[in-house]
Amino acid sequence: MNQRPAPSRGKTDPSTVIGVDIGGTFTDLVLRDEAGGDIVVAKEPTTPEHPERGVLAAIDRAVGSDALARCRYLMHGTTVGLNALLERRGATVGLLTTRGFRDVLEIRRGDRDDPYDLYWRPPAPLVPRRLRLEVDERIAADGSVVAGLDEASVQHALDTFRRDGVDSIAVVLLHAYANPDHELRIEQLLRNCGWDGDISLSHRVSGEYREYERTTTTVVDAFVRRRMGPYLSRLSQGLADRGFSGDLLVTRSGGGALTLPEVEQRPFETIMSGPVAGAAALGRLAQRLELPIVIGADVGGTSFDTVVIEDGRAPLLFEGRVEGMPLQSPWVDVRSIGAGGGSLAFVDEGGLLRVGPRSAGADPGPACYQRGGSRPTVTDAALVLGMLVPGELSGGVRLSVERAREALEPLAAPSGLDDAVDVAEGVVRIAAAHMAQAIRGITVERGIDPRTATIVGFGGAGPLFSCLVADELDVAHVVIPPNAGNFSAVGLLSSDATRNAARTVVTPLDAAALERARAVATGLLDELDPSGTVPFREVQLDLRFQGQEHALTRGLAPDAGVEDVVTDFRREYGRVFGHGLPGPVELVTVRVSARTPLSVTTGLVPAPRESAPTSDTAKVWCFSRRDWTEADVVSRGELATRGPLPGPLLVVEPTTTTYVSLGFLAEVDGEDCLILTRKDCP
Amino acid sequence: MSSGETVLTRCTDARPGLGQGADPVTTEIIRQGLNAAADHMKSALIRTSFSPIIYEALDFAVAFYDADLCMLAQAPTLPAFMGTLGFCVREAVTAVGGVAALRPGDVVLYNDPYGTGSHPQDAAMVVPIFVDDDLVAYSVIKAHWLDIGGKDPYCTDTVDVFQEGTIFPGVKLYDAGNRVDGIYRMILANSRLPDAVIGDINAMVAGARAGGEALTRLVRRHGLDVFRRCVARMYDHGESLIRAWFSRLPDGRYRADSIIDWDGVVDEPVPFALEVHVEGSTVRVDYTGAPDQRPGPINCPLPSTVAASRLAVAYLAGAGEAPNEGHFRALEVLTRPGTLFHPVSPAPCFMYGIPSDHAIELILRALAPALPDAVPAASGGDINALVWWGTREAGGTPWADGAPHPVGQGATAAADGANALMYLSESATRFTPAEIWEVRNPWRIERCALAVDSGGPGRHRGGLGLDLSFRMLEDCYLTSALARTRLLPWGLRGGQPGRPNGLTVEYPDGRTASYDLRTRVALPKGALVHLRTGSGGGYGDPADRPAELVRADLADGYITAQHARRWYGQATP
Repeated sequence: MNQRPAPSRGKTDPSTVIGVDIGGTFTDLVLRDEAGGDIVVAKEPTTPEHPERGVLAAIDRAVGSDALARCRYLMHGTTVGLNALLERRGATVGLLTTRGFRDVLEIRRGDRDDPYDLYWRPPAPLVPRRLRLEVDERIAADGSVVAGLDEASVQHALDTFRRDGVDSIAVVLLHAYANPDHELRIEQLLRNCGWDGDISLSHRVSGEYREYERTTTTVVDAFVRRRMGPYLSRLSQGLADRGFSGDLLVTRSGGGALTLPEVEQRPFETIMSGPVAGAAALGRLAQRLELPIVIGADVGGTSFDTVVIEDGRAPLLFEGRVEGMPLQSPWVDVRSIGAGGGSLAFVDEGGLLRVGPRSAGADPGPACYQRGGSRPTVTDAALVLGMLVPGELSGGVRLSVERAREALEPLAAPSGLDDAVDVAEGVVRIAAAHMAQAIRGITVERGIDPRTATIVGFGGAGPLFSCLVADELDVAHVVIPPNAGNFSAVGLLSSDATRNAARTVVTPLDAAALERARAVATGLLDELDPSGTVPFREVQLDLRFQGQEHALTRGLAPDAGVEDVVTDFRREYGRVFGHGLPGPVELVTVRVSARTPLSVTTGLVPAPRESAPTSDTAKVWCFSRRDWTEADVVSRGELATRGPLPGPLLVVEPTTTTYVSLGFLAEVDGEDCLILTRKDCP
Repeated sequence: MSSGETVLTRCTDARPGLGQGADPVTTEIIRQGLNAAADHMKSALIRTSFSPIIYEALDFAVAFYDADLCMLAQAPTLPAFMGTLGFCVREAVTAVGGVAALRPGDVVLYNDPYGTGSHPQDAAMVVPIFVDDDLVAYSVIKAHWLDIGGKDPYCTDTVDVFQEGTIFPGVKLYDAGNRVDGIYRMILANSRLPDAVIGDINAMVAGARAGGEALTRLVRRHGLDVFRRCVARMYDHGESLIRAWFSRLPDGRYRADSIIDWDGVVDEPVPFALEVHVEGSTVRVDYTGAPDQRPGPINCPLPSTVAASRLAVAYLAGAGEAPNEGHFRALEVLTRPGTLFHPVSPAPCFMYGIPSDHAIELILRALAPALPDAVPAASGGDINALVWWGTREAGGTPWADGAPHPVGQGATAAADGANALMYLSESATRFTPAEIWEVRNPWRIERCALAVDSGGPGRHRGGLGLDLSFRMLEDCYLTSALARTRLLPWGLRGGQPGRPNGLTVEYPDGRTASYDLRTRVALPKGALVHLRTGSGGGYGDPADRPAELVRADLADGYITAQHARRWYGQATP
């Protein structure tokens, strides 16, 4: 279970690495030869019923048997676990819990997702009430045993589970994070009674307090396990049949990746792995270009995803939400709002022009795709304004300006605007303002002034909006990286193997507490890495002022004393919240991570060479002058040759288009990055 | 009875016509920007506050008001405070000498219940926002402090407002950026829990100032003139959304009446009635039939009466939009000074939430004949607030904690009522996990479960209430602030009532006692407190409930076989 990918397979030929990203619509594959050379990219339709078929089809199409045999590892982002939750298709879970707490999963926290919705109802619990059973036992918050475990009640519950066809048992006892004895004893009893199905114990899934959150996490673990295991076996077999002998790795919601046996142990850690690869790639870009603060602007078909990278690192949260269910699992803090290329524009009952959060999705897509969509989208607006070049997209879609205009025109009269162009300008401005607000939210929370940051645009439409968003936020520097259109899939190639663990230990922070925290950390790390071979081990502490609930997570240096820890916490608190406080500091949770770098280089993955650089001009909307203007349309390679060019300008490449606003200067640097700089503030 | 004088409260357009011709795109961008800025202010407060009542129960409101005291935006926080902050901004600014006396860097503290609408624990910080030399707006945070004096940390038996807490009637806590230490020390000297209050003051000041910075950026980005025009158009837009919905209501006068258990001081039921008048696209809630103000603290100051009315109609008509001043223009509130819904100082008002919470469901019930498919049956109908305090055995430190508790929701024409959600006025509030409670407080939760058979029978069943049992591990005090312990949550259209709220204490000596409104109940170590929260009423005749739903309820144990036989004629499976 702790097997690690070997750094080298000892073969004479250079090895390859493969990244596969299974999205809602397409499965993207990227192959790279580690000795250098162009990447190979393939795109296949996702096959939701059997996702491994889409992956294997992409491999059959793009990866030769020689390259597959030389493959050192295949890094893989999957939505299998997420889809199991969205579709509610997983194991029949039975839940065992402390007497008196059968309904924790259903009582939740008593709040409503929408406080103003009179009719709001929570989604049905993942485990129905008849399969939530109680055992007699009780442990106190300090781990002491208040009432011993009544073993007969376990046997009794098992009989019910068997009768009702349960195939996975979750065990969540109060305060098990402080003392796991009763959970462990229940596992033993279940096995002694001949139970050979899955068992999820809450203290293994999450070492943190809050029983509702730990219960959902444990139940989700039990629920998705039966979907994830068979899928990974089929994929693993299909790859072996084709001669693959490297490591199969799956990305985690909290960044980095797990090996196959690790995923089988902790499937819930992969639930939100989608946006993680993009964040990892951003981290590498920030380190490479030595950018202290980077804001990711990833615009896809349905959403805008943003993340702040500080000192090359993506921020982690330790609780996430899926379908209204909290999960106690590390989570790269990528925020998503419904403002993508496919977001729908409409005029509301009060006569205001609005954009999103509903989307035309991949099917039928924007009106200009000519696939049956007639409602206007952000992409239609961009096309009418000349921000996209009409013609054929990489997926074989032909863009029609006429269809886009026809879709936008009807919004003019009810919103009091003149014509389709006015509507298009409004739609793009509103979409960009939504994106800017989302960025302001995540930067303000971290005490960062966005004006000191660099925006990195990627995803199909990120480069289209980056300058507009930069204008909204007074940001002067924008970078469009190589492979911007499939930056996330390429990012898979630079992920690390990572494991995390955590334990709640609420206690005043003094020298003894720090010593105890180090002992807890060592124990957790030894569980993650018994052989002690993992090169990077890190310890972090959740700290807060006594009396507060919300904590800040700070790294713990091996030689730091209690004074150092407190000073660092106070400094960071002041930076983030703008005011300092007196008062004692409290330790809440000890967190550890063990990380193994996989990639052999630290460089960026270069984009494939252009076959023929192009140059043209087109009529493009200029937002600051609010008028049309004649602008250059150049390929990325052509721009590299011609040197810096001023906006308005379009830079085109196979997977995306960059819109450069008036006032920005565009050039290509030595790393093949497109650098956009506002001229008035260099 | 008091005199016949009445007061009409409504929002009128402060600058008619200003919004005409404002750019609709910029208007939408500014509207989104205001709501986002209010949200930032909210998350800053949650993450830095010290009271569980703020960071867990979210018992606060944050909003921006413009220079005309019209509400620009309010973050989705405590719905009960919907739109009440305008009253306290006006009073706070007047108290310090009016607009001319305001300077950049000022923070005005205000907690007079007759201006905030609630008890003195709900303290407001008002920060004037200047862009260049123009006063353009105010950011306001009103939040519940754990203790600011008063005869007890939480009172159900006060006889005037002076017993309820120390009143700061609009004083500068910061003057041009400098802390006024005299005021600061006054606050701390009057709190049983000064450390928590210091932390919350800092969190509120920092939050309100951060909000001010966000709003300043927005005004600078667009220019003050464009900002004002677009805001005027935004209000017009909000008004037209709500009026479009109201105009679909059948015109008429709708009436409902009910009974409040008692006032906490004089043990007699308090009946009251209200009327809702619908005329075209205007809705007027008429409270002039309310009884005289009471000797006990269930009097509801005018701002909270207005808030309850706004909240009730927002639940029906709001369509999920973030509210601004425009949303309130179609609603009028008619009251009579000296009565339960418009008391005159110094009438006690600590438990103002009892009548205002009751009024919310009563307005819905009044409109049920006009909107039979939209109005749910009654819920448990109360926030079931319990407040605990004491001194820890180890270390002798004072502690206090308080929380609302979820109730079953009423069934609707479309579905069964939801089990165990916070009452409408506190619908964003979160229930505290037992594991956090037990780390923090000297007690153990022995039971936290849905109450079997509690849902009001009906074609659609009412949502289940909650059974909670707290075992005291040290001596402490409890204030029980329960309402609707006698009135059954009503069903609709043949649906049967649910169960009311209730609380019983089992003492270590074997004695038991039940409480509803009771201040400072002494709980010895070992006492066991049972809280039973109310459930929802049913909707439609129970005989019409499909047999498969009854069987499913039986299998899941939401009802017992005996209950199924009695109400649904269902044989034991």
